[in-house]
Amino acid sequence: MTYVLTVVTAGLRTPSSTRLLADRLAQASGDALRRRGPDVDVEVRVVEVRDHAHPVADALLTGFPTGALRSALADVAEADALVVVSPTFQGSYSGLFKSFVDLVEPGVLRGTPVLLAATGGSERHSLVVEHALRPLFAYLGAVGVPTGVYAATADFGGDGSAALDERIARAAGELAALTGGGAPRPARRDEFAQVTPFEQLLARAGAAGR
Amino acid sequence: MQFGIFTVGDVTTDPVTGHTPTEHERIKAQVEIAQRADEVGLDVVAFGQHHNPPFVASAPTTTMAYVAAQTKNIMLSTSTTLITTTDPVRIAEDYGTLQHLTDGRMDLMLGRGNTGPVYPWFGKDIRDGIELAVENYALLHRLWREDVVTWQGRHRTPLQSFTATPRPLDGVPPFVWHGSIRSPEIAEQAAYYGDGFFHNHIFWPPEHTREMVELYRSRFEHYGHGSADQAIVGLGGQVFMNKNSQDAIREFRPYFDHAPVYGGGPSLETFMRETPLTVGSPDQVIERTLGFRDYAGDYQRQLFLLDHAGLPLKTVLEQIDLLGEHVVPVLRREFDALRPAHVPEAPTHASLVAARGAQAAAPA
Repeated sequence: MTYVLTVVTAGLRTPSSTRLLADRLAQASGDALRRRGPDVDVEVRVVEVRDHAHPVADALLTGFPTGALRSALADVAEADALVVVSPTFQGSYSGLFKSFVDLVEPGVLRGTPVLLAATGGSERHSLVVEHALRPLFAYLGAVGVPTGVYAATADFGGDGSAALDERIARAAGELAALTGGGAPRPARRDEFAQVTPFEQLLARAGAAGR
Repeated sequence: MQFGIFTVGDVTTDPVTGHTPTEHERIKAQVEIAQRADEVGLDVVAFGQHHNPPFVASAPTTTMAYVAAQTKNIMLSTSTTLITTTDPVRIAEDYGTLQHLTDGRMDLMLGRGNTGPVYPWFGKDIRDGIELAVENYALLHRLWREDVVTWQGRHRTPLQSFTATPRPLDGVPPFVWHGSIRSPEIAEQAAYYGDGFFHNHIFWPPEHTREMVELYRSRFEHYGHGSADQAIVGLGGQVFMNKNSQDAIREFRPYFDHAPVYGGGPSLETFMRETPLTVGSPDQVIERTLGFRDYAGDYQRQLFLLDHAGLPLKTVLEQIDLLGEHVVPVLRREFDALRPAHVPEAPTHASLVAARGAQAAAPA
């Protein structure tokens, strides 16, 4: 059994603390998934949102994603488990992160377990996970794992370091537990393969033709 | 195969000269463009319908009637007639009259329109778009085929014993195309009636066109109108030409970079790679256009968008000359050579009259 674990990371700098957190979450989630059994394999796909910054803006203007952005969105849609990490800007997820999420096709994340994580310059933003990320992914129908992971500057090497390790392990365990089970993921309806017959469209339009 | 041009009738400031045409200039320019298209031997000129600035195309049949009087051979069509917000009774009457005035030198393409604010101006709601397209066309279809119609629907006043006048020329209703970029319901609608399906085929990746055309073709066959490859398909396309391809790119770039539809977005190069837009030499346009057949099959009508984004009239007329002299004759020859004999041409009034005659003469 191979699970696709897609990690969306929206840091802007190099090196990026957001990417650092994303890599640790990916590692921990992959490990937790593999612990579920000897036959479990994990394919990790990383989406570095910064790499798609211009195509994201173009797609918002033209209505269709191009090239590598299209593959990145497919990686999100095909994920069995998702990790998302945004930096905190002005008290919320970053605009680029939200713009990327705005391009995710409606319905494709319904039932997908998602680990919600954010970084920020100060501990005072820690509820960004609960107040911003969780409602966004609730709207998308994804299943947010109970433990959100927020990391401020002090958590990298400071007093919070041990607590962060613990939260990463707990959140990764929760993500692994929800993967491949839990809420059913409805099969996507291919509207081109299963077209609504015209008689039904006519009937829906009321007494048209009578 | 038919070749022509289509327009949306936008008033856009020329980004190079800063000149904004007046509405009067733009409306008269549309007439001149149609005349030139007729002169160089194009088959079709199609007019848009919009009810909001910056467009001047609110009354297409008025423009079309005037153009018909100034031209000889070119067929007049629309791109598109708004089936959602225009009363189907008015469509039956306006286009019915146009059919007589032009001696059948017209058809029309129905579309929904995608601008939310327009719908309430006509007492409609954009969320009912598909339903309006289905119901309104069901009525229009009857108005052109039954002398007396009693009808009730959800979106307009019921009709009791209503006769739409004038009755269609020679008893044959105008041919109808249905245009849609992304709605399978409209491809299904076109297939159900055995009407034509047109994909706008600009601004979007060809993959969308392929999916919609394939669906339309398979459903056309399902509804018993013929085999899938006999379905009537039209495609849009967008080109800008210069005999020297680098000059074409240089001349078109400022218009692309400032056009309301894609300005500030992707680069010209990205857009040329991802969509059917072709900016280059006539030979490049010919090669790209012949490639449309790879994913749309043998099709019947190819319309190009030439006059938009503030391009000056003189430039548009030059583009039409290039199309008429260097591109369309080659495309006509090449496409005709590739098309199997059992694939029909796009219907015209004459062919529809002949088909009806053949049907009447056939033994029951």
